Amino acid sequence: MTSTIEQPDLDRQRSFGRRLTALTSDRPWVWAYLGSVLMWIAICVINGRLSFGVVTAVFALAPFLVLAGIGQMFVITLGGGSIDLTVSNVITLTAFAAAEISAAANGNVALGILAVVVIGVLVGGLNAGVILGLKVPPIVATLAAGLILQSAVNVIAGLGTSTPSPALADFTQSRVLGISVLGAVCVAVAVLAGIFLRRSITGRRMQAFGQNAIAARLSGVSRGRVVLIAYLISGVLAAIAGALLGAFSGPNVALGDPYQLNSIAVVVLGGTLIAGGRSNVAGIWGAGLFLLLLNTLLNSLNVGVAAQDIVKGILIILVLSVMSGRRER
Amino acid sequence: MTTFIHTDTTAKSAKQGVLSRFGISGSDMLAPGALIALVLVCCIVNPNVLTVFGLTLVLSSAIPLALASLAQMYVVLVGDIDLGNGAAIGLVTTIVATLLIPHPVVAIIALAAVIALYALSGLLVQTRRIPAIIVTLGASFVWLGIALIVLPSPGGTVPHWLVLSATTVIPGIPYPILIAAAIALVGWLISMRTRYGAVIRAGGASPDAVGRAGWSMTRVRMTAYGLAGFFIVAAGLFVAGATGSGDAQSSSDYTLLAVASVVLGGGRFSGGRATPIGTVCGALAVSVAGSMLALIGVPSDYQTGMQGLILLAVLAGRVITDRKSA
Repeated sequence: MTSTIEQPDLDRQRSFGRRLTALTSDRPWVWAYLGSVLMWIAICVINGRLSFGVVTAVFALAPFLVLAGIGQMFVITLGGGSIDLTVSNVITLTAFAAAEISAAANGNVALGILAVVVIGVLVGGLNAGVILGLKVPPIVATLAAGLILQSAVNVIAGLGTSTPSPALADFTQSRVLGISVLGAVCVAVAVLAGIFLRRSITGRRMQAFGQNAIAARLSGVSRGRVVLIAYLISGVLAAIAGALLGAFSGPNVALGDPYQLNSIAVVVLGGTLIAGGRSNVAGIWGAGLFLLLLNTLLNSLNVGVAAQDIVKGILIILVLSVMSGRRER
Repeated sequence: MTTFIHTDTTAKSAKQGVLSRFGISGSDMLAPGALIALVLVCCIVNPNVLTVFGLTLVLSSAIPLALASLAQMYVVLVGDIDLGNGAAIGLVTTIVATLLIPHPVVAIIALAAVIALYALSGLLVQTRRIPAIIVTLGASFVWLGIALIVLPSPGGTVPHWLVLSATTVIPGIPYPILIAAAIALVGWLISMRTRYGAVIRAGGASPDAVGRAGWSMTRVRMTAYGLAGFFIVAAGLFVAGATGSGDAQSSSDYTLLAVASVVLGGGRFSGGRATPIGTVCGALAVSVAGSMLALIGVPSDYQTGMQGLILLAVLAGRVITDRKSA
């Protein structure tokens, strides 16, 4: 009976191998960048001129989404329904925490960032601990952890007005030759994440675990270790993204909300397999730019926020339908 | 198909006797137990809870949650999870509050469309092999977007009969308990007394066996999601009746609380195991837990967090009971 249940999985593995040879390894992320270029052309057509300002503006806005997306990607890499639904709560919480702690420490940015990293580590550890210790699906574990974080947000938001550290706010908005410094830093982070995923032993173990958990465990990959590391990375990156976003646009209780779907969307649209085992960092940048350009396009068409939600929701389901369809063949 | 029912009931009745006839297994006793314990705590804090009025008040929020939890349960039964649950309920309340009085036919078509879209998302999950998490999370944004277009800010008007049916006070017996029992009965009839109820349970436990028995998993999943859509519409009607208005966003908490109710009611995320009676008891326990937190004076800011901790405690408790029985 067990063997019959796993039959479809084996089929998928086989066609996955075929797809590997059929496509070059770099191909999945090309679509996200192609989509971005299309969006930019559409924006230029609507504005009636070449608007390079849109590109630099979007480049400055993308880092928060990209950081959260990279964290989410490491979790999704593990496969088997691995997902981190605390990202949105972590972002809101750390936006407040960074502001509060920096303010309390007379504008000490480093202390604020350190505290935020600790929060990220605690949340990631909690997520991994619940998944491993209580043997619950990641989705339930991270939903429960999200409830606890929501309370933490309520409490910290009730403390009064939080003004983010001016130094951090300046950093998130600083530009050199019109190009966002934070954007450039996040490109570097993405490159490092890519190297870690592809070249480091831990990164490769994560991918191996996502491709075939049983085979990976038989060859000595510890499930506990890869799960813990993935959720720690996701927690810390979301925490840093939250601190930066809080400094960029000011903390508020709904700040992180869009990131629950969007952090998953950039991973999926960027060509990472939602089933795990095949991840792509370059695609996250492409998909981040694409989503923000799509936002800009819909805004310049005067499409309301509500309709934008509908478009994004349908787009993600459609892209997944098409991508999974290709995998099936 | 009949074989599933037979093996199910015979195996269980050997162990648990009478309880199994109602689809209750050992781990399902967790929810009723927790419910009784929580009601007792409430009574100790405030003896008025045990009056008809007190119980009506404490349990009134449980009815929409019970319906939302049944919706979640049918998705969990086929091994999936619905993250759009709360947003869809919000959408239903906006449809009810804006369309039901001026254009009843349009409103009914719109509500039927919600059920149809739910079945459609089941079709997508099955035929395209996309994880349900992503489909339902994507769908939740579609629901929210539509709801915000239908009714941009909370308000609207709800028919008087709907308000009455959600807030009636019957002397002598707490109305919510009556409704909860009726909901559990409907769920039980669907799960245990219809063909598709049995096939859905079997499909969650072993999709291949269902396929070999000649049933289409696509239809099974669509039916399960369609049932979820049906109970979501029912939940939305109750929320709109109880609050007297529509609100696109205030129902979002139902997603998490419904998952908690299913877990507390003994549901397993591997599929095939979740009972309507357990789930409804779970929903009652979750809402009484909320009332209890308010009664013992936990500040509202901490209440969601406490609910998260209670959910984790239940999950931990289950690990321990599982180890003992294994």
